[in-house]
Amino acid sequence: MQRRNFVKLGAAAAALQCLPSIGFSQQGEVFRIGSLTPITGAGSPYGPGMQQAIRLAVDEVNAAGGAGGRKLELFTEDDQTKPDAAVLAAKKLIEVNKVQAVLGTWASGVTLAVMPLTEAAGIVQMNVSGAPAISTLDTRDLVWRFQATNDRFGAAFAEICAKRGFKRPATMAFNNASGLGNVEGFTRVWEKRGGKVAAHVTYEPSRPSYRSELQKILAAKPDVIVMGSYLPDTTIILREWFQSGADNKWVIPGWAANPDLVKALGPEVCEGIISVETVSNEKSTSYAQFDAAFTKATGKAASTNIYAAMAYDMVISLALAMEAAGPKATVEQVNARLREVSNAPGTAVYSFAEGKAQLGKKAKVNYEGASSKLDFDKFGDATPDFGVFVIEKGQLVRRDVVSITM
Amino acid sequence: MTWIDFANLLINGLIEGLVVALPALAMTLVMGVNRFPNAATGDLLTTGAYAAVAVQMLGGVPLWLAALASVATTAAVSAGSYQLIFRKLAGRPMVASMLAAIGLGFLLRSLISFFAGHDQRTFDMPLVRAWNFGGIRILPTDLLIAAIAAACLLVVFVLIYRTSFGRQLRAVADSADLARASGIRAGGLMLCLWLLVGALSSISGVLLGMKAIVTPEMGWESLIPAFAAMVLGGIGSPLGAVLGALLLCVVQELSVPLLGPSYKLVLSFLVLALVLLLRPAGILGRVQLVR
Repeated sequence: MQRRNFVKLGAAAAALQCLPSIGFSQQGEVFRIGSLTPITGAGSPYGPGMQQAIRLAVDEVNAAGGAGGRKLELFTEDDQTKPDAAVLAAKKLIEVNKVQAVLGTWASGVTLAVMPLTEAAGIVQMNVSGAPAISTLDTRDLVWRFQATNDRFGAAFAEICAKRGFKRPATMAFNNASGLGNVEGFTRVWEKRGGKVAAHVTYEPSRPSYRSELQKILAAKPDVIVMGSYLPDTTIILREWFQSGADNKWVIPGWAANPDLVKALGPEVCEGIISVETVSNEKSTSYAQFDAAFTKATGKAASTNIYAAMAYDMVISLALAMEAAGPKATVEQVNARLREVSNAPGTAVYSFAEGKAQLGKKAKVNYEGASSKLDFDKFGDATPDFGVFVIEKGQLVRRDVVSITM
Repeated sequence: MTWIDFANLLINGLIEGLVVALPALAMTLVMGVNRFPNAATGDLLTTGAYAAVAVQMLGGVPLWLAALASVATTAAVSAGSYQLIFRKLAGRPMVASMLAAIGLGFLLRSLISFFAGHDQRTFDMPLVRAWNFGGIRILPTDLLIAAIAAACLLVVFVLIYRTSFGRQLRAVADSADLARASGIRAGGLMLCLWLLVGALSSISGVLLGMKAIVTPEMGWESLIPAFAAMVLGGIGSPLGAVLGALLLCVVQELSVPLLGPSYKLVLSFLVLALVLLLRPAGILGRVQLVR
């Protein structure tokens, strides 16, 4: 008899676990958050960590008593780094789970595919994608970007080239929005500083050889070549460049100039390449706290996945906006407060609990995130700092951190 | 632009052309004899490249040995696919075999990406600096690639035009019925042809991998240039396929100073369209082969 009761109780408890919405709805109102990160596909090295970071932030907010009188409730889906799969998952999150925010899309193609759905539903969308088009297509100001745009990467390249004293830069770009965005951003800022770009080549993907493209760019005798490229084409270009015996330097985005590139080409070819990637807000206490929690939860340091800190900041800034908007605020009212709680002016706060306490005192807060200072511009785009890594003896060594102002 | 720059572009074009010529030749052989465009040629090429990568990963094997192992593997896959699929579709319309070939290509590509993932691979081989002859730069690796491709082409031409295997093959290509009536047994002959096609594809995969990188899509992406080269040279003509590949790639490279690298591919197709308008059978094709 006792055992039977135990089994019944266990089954009931398990059923409740499976249906968390029922469990919570009895305790009062909740704010539903959908995590849509790439657990599989090309983004899979980052997606699971991002999902974990979102979960950590949700737990942190709930432990502090919720935001604006509401607890957060999390639903997770895998966007598979594929726009079609992401659209299905987003529809499920919006229509079945009735989420009020979709957080964590990674690939630009995925974000662009999901945006029309979240905009139509009038809910918040937060991403880490690079495509400049995301800024302008966001007509209702519901889309928030926590990673630098490709255009800003280009601006950072210009800052780095000026700082390192290069005089005759040339640019090469993969023929798509990301590649061209990088070099156009570079050219815009470089020319504004009064510099000139010696030559530019836009190349097509999946060629067996890029020798004629290289020949064209090397004819201008550049001292540095600035790239908007991906790993496969960069591998072929650098191999042929090394074999041809030219001696210019390279500035390459971090997603192309990474340990895989060194593995493919060897340390001799890669020596001295400058690789540029955004870095987290490493000196802030918010980063220190997040790093500790993330390391405890996953066994890996937060620096192994820069997108995890961005995903964490998504929840914290959203929760602060909820707190600022007060109880029973609509999604639209919460969304309208996001810029206010993240940007200056205001008391700098480094955690949700700190921010909640300040807001309770009717003070204005400025959340300094784990991923960046988290100041959103008029498009809802944040601008993290950029780390300058130089490949030395096959290792990426960080030599500098640059900030750009837009 | 000086003549030295043009000479460099010409050399690039010739080397690329030799690499494209191998899959074009493999396609044109199947087209001439089995009468369907083998859309799986590209993925056989990928299979060859991955087989070589796999052998190298097993441990410290030099590239030439890995390439030989890959030739054996890919030839077996190719002959097996004939035995299991294309032999049975022989009497059916061309579309049936072509669709089956597309399906086979998808199958091979999916198997490769399932087991090897989508990350790029490279062969373990030393990088050597280019020789510089007064501005004309020649990469030793490119020279090796060109020499291997040329040697393979030579072997295939000797096989086709100087051996009884080649005579029988050409007889079947001209008229399968007549060949059967003269006592040529098609079964073994076809298997040999498909072994040859597999070997050719595998070598072109390894050469392409040496020049560029190894990815699951590499063969699929080189299929269109190879197809264009085959049509340009005259469908079913082995020498035509090689000439077509060389012509397309040289024109592509020489167009760079005029149009820039973004429009390379477009121009090569313009050449294709022009040749077909002026000479519908292709450069060396015979009209009766195009049915």
